[in-house]
Amino acid sequence: MTEYFIRRVLQSILVLFLITLITFGLIHAAPGGPTKIFLAPGLSQEAAKIQAHNLGLDQPVAVQYIKWVGGLLKGDLGYTFKNHLPVGQILWPTVGNTVVLMGVAWLLSLLIAVPWGIYNSTKEYGLSDQTASFVSYVGFAMPTFWFGILLQEMFALNLDWLPLSDMWTMGKEGNIGNLFMHLILPVTVLTLGFLAAYSKYARSSMLEVLEQDYIRTARAKGVKERRVIFRHALRNALIPIITVLGLDLPILVGGAALTESVFNWPGMGRLFIDMAVAREYSVLMAITLITAVVVIIGNLIADILYAVVDPRVQLGKGGRSA
Amino acid sequence: MVKTKKWIALLATLTLFGALFVGCSNTKSSESSTKAPTGSEVDASKSTDKPVDGGTLTFSSFSDIVSINPIYVDNSASSDAARFVMANLYDLDRKGNLVAEPWSLAAAPLEVSADGKTYTVKLKKEAKWSDGQPVTADDVIFTINTFRDPKAGSPGIGQFDKVDKLDKVDDQTIKITLKQVFAPFQYSLFNQLIPYHVLKDVKPEQLKDNPYGKDPAKTVTNGAWKWTEWKQKQYLTFDKDPNYWGQKPHIDKVVYKIYADQNTEVSALIKGDTDLIQAIPVTQIEAVKKKSGISVLLAPGPLYEYVAFNFKPENFPDKFVPFTGQKTRQAIATALNRQGMIDNILKGTGTKLNAPFLPGTWADPGSAVTEYKYDPAAAKKLLAEDGWVAGSDGILTKDGHRFSFELQYNAGNSRRQQVAAVIQQNLKEVGIEVTPKAIDFSSWADNNLTPGKFPAVLLSWSLNNPDPDGEQTFSSKYFPPTGQNMGWYKNDKLDKLWVEGYSTVDQAERKKIYEEVGKEISTDLPYVFLYQYGQPEGLGPRVKYAEADAPEASLPYGYFFHIQNWWVTQ
Repeated sequence: MTEYFIRRVLQSILVLFLITLITFGLIHAAPGGPTKIFLAPGLSQEAAKIQAHNLGLDQPVAVQYIKWVGGLLKGDLGYTFKNHLPVGQILWPTVGNTVVLMGVAWLLSLLIAVPWGIYNSTKEYGLSDQTASFVSYVGFAMPTFWFGILLQEMFALNLDWLPLSDMWTMGKEGNIGNLFMHLILPVTVLTLGFLAAYSKYARSSMLEVLEQDYIRTARAKGVKERRVIFRHALRNALIPIITVLGLDLPILVGGAALTESVFNWPGMGRLFIDMAVAREYSVLMAITLITAVVVIIGNLIADILYAVVDPRVQLGKGGRSA
Repeated sequence: MVKTKKWIALLATLTLFGALFVGCSNTKSSESSTKAPTGSEVDASKSTDKPVDGGTLTFSSFSDIVSINPIYVDNSASSDAARFVMANLYDLDRKGNLVAEPWSLAAAPLEVSADGKTYTVKLKKEAKWSDGQPVTADDVIFTINTFRDPKAGSPGIGQFDKVDKLDKVDDQTIKITLKQVFAPFQYSLFNQLIPYHVLKDVKPEQLKDNPYGKDPAKTVTNGAWKWTEWKQKQYLTFDKDPNYWGQKPHIDKVVYKIYADQNTEVSALIKGDTDLIQAIPVTQIEAVKKKSGISVLLAPGPLYEYVAFNFKPENFPDKFVPFTGQKTRQAIATALNRQGMIDNILKGTGTKLNAPFLPGTWADPGSAVTEYKYDPAAAKKLLAEDGWVAGSDGILTKDGHRFSFELQYNAGNSRRQQVAAVIQQNLKEVGIEVTPKAIDFSSWADNNLTPGKFPAVLLSWSLNNPDPDGEQTFSSKYFPPTGQNMGWYKNDKLDKLWVEGYSTVDQAERKKIYEEVGKEISTDLPYVFLYQYGQPEGLGPRVKYAEADAPEASLPYGYFFHIQNWWVTQ
């Protein structure tokens, strides 16, 4: 297990390195680079050269990349081109804000979706199951930004019960009650989206397990239905769900740019778009890096959890089941 | 380039993300004040109450500032913020004239010498920085020298490239001597200053990295409010400066709130979370107007849209430029239903124009220009006179070349998408085949606009300077890739007229020259000028001002015109 863990971490570092290398190259290959955007059109050629030199943009991409990695190893994410602000100062607060929003929505949808899906698998095509299907269709089909606007129109503008947008009311930063009120609408939007997927996964993976021979055997032995579901079926059904959750983990930091925009949530998804438009390479690279780290951690956690829920999975010994 | 007209900027305004880079430097547009055809719908109550002191005004935008250091302000977000904390050397009156207002740093109107080359600036004795130091001639000289220094990397460098020398006459008086007579120069002084006593030891190449302009605590200002907070991507706050040297404003606190997009901003205006928004999407105007208490100001701003032709044969298959004939270009102008575009796509927030001068400005050539009324039959006649004959598929041909071209615009701009479709339809009716093509803005700028490689484009200019000089846009001195004459247009008469236009400071004489320009350019048509258009401003019910201080859409930053005199109710 320890050996496996170390190997995975080493692999991850290699993967991260490749990701940053490729991203760096791609960003620099995109048309309309920073020399075009940052260097104001009023600048003469001579002045433009001086500026490009000051920003280090006149060096080969490879040299720029090595410098970036060098800074990174010292914990320096770099500065924005446009106004020379430390990347960390802009980035970290938005990461926190996104984790709050997405974390609440994600946990809430898990708490609802998994039990609901399990229940529905035992009462296939019952009222609850039909309702879940309906919610899923709506959740899948409705664009999140549009649902967000509908909720705003109703609860913030017409009824005036809830705040329209933002994370806090100005001057009330840090007030949990205020945060809670601001969370209700965006979390509702996001939860509906997650719920649609997760309840379907939970239900179908339970149904699949419930048809297995050992379940029939258990029932034939006269094991109580409750015990069949929770003891025999659930643990096996959880494996595909864990896979999905592990892969979805990066959403927590990647955020939902559209939802963040509609609700003016100061998160990382919005930041990424702004910075992409502004061609702020150092911020884009930092966001890519954070997202990549979380993807890798998410996968690692999922793999470890397999072993926890299913003893047949033996990490590091080749072939895993499920 | 005093008149920094930037498509980069301009375009970005209207892209999906809507970052408004428009107004670089400072200078700005024209003065169509009373001309605004779509009258502003300010409700009468705005002017009846008596001003009250106190309260908070919240205005919003969809982009964050970059820096409010005047040397580096190159987008309207930063510029908007800077207006609250920095006094201008000179201001603009409603007509776009350069004046010394009570809140300007200048004490008297700008003096120009008889030969038109020397400008004398006199500062107010009482003007002070927020740290108590006086604003002096040293600040003015230091500011202009920093703008001019390539090492400082200011986007406004071109505003001062005609300056020959700067002389300090006394602490409050500066003489600026130009290398040549250049009338538009005066608008370079519609600008803000940086404090010499704070920044004199900073190397020009390090000024951009200096916290000045980015850290509220380290930004010494000289305006009516002082900068108290910047929460990135969320808001900035400005509080009334108790030590301000001039008459104190009515409003205590100004909050500049940043929204993710325009629709969110409109909802915030309706909810009352913000009091002023600068640009309501035209599709939402009706919805906003229905809400009681919200005023929508529809007057068009200092922007105009056009179709630019390319005259360089290399940009066409077979090296055949279909636009060579003047009558052909006139036919295209006649075939386009511009009023229809204004009514249906702009929802009335535009005015037709025929020359690159905004309607109502002092340089507006008025009836001297050639007018083009929508008339497909007349257009067909003009095309026939120019030698075009209908081919078997209904498309015109000349010497074996079909009249077919690609019209490029930036992807994500829904207004241009609709206008391009109308152009396609209108021209099809007279036998010209147009293929509209949307291209991602940055690649478009890189691959087509800057190098001047395209058949025709649909684009805008933002006139961020009230001066009519247009040499850099239309003169053959300014061919791509360094110049802005991206369609390779060459007209010797105009080349000469532009130079004459800025080589005298006598406004009456200039007006005559620009009348000539207007006549020539509207006849020869390097572009088909479509319309002046605007961004409707929305004002919440709490915002009050006297009629004389009402926002002025046609001016740069006119949405805050005379804001020192505004007040808010609780």
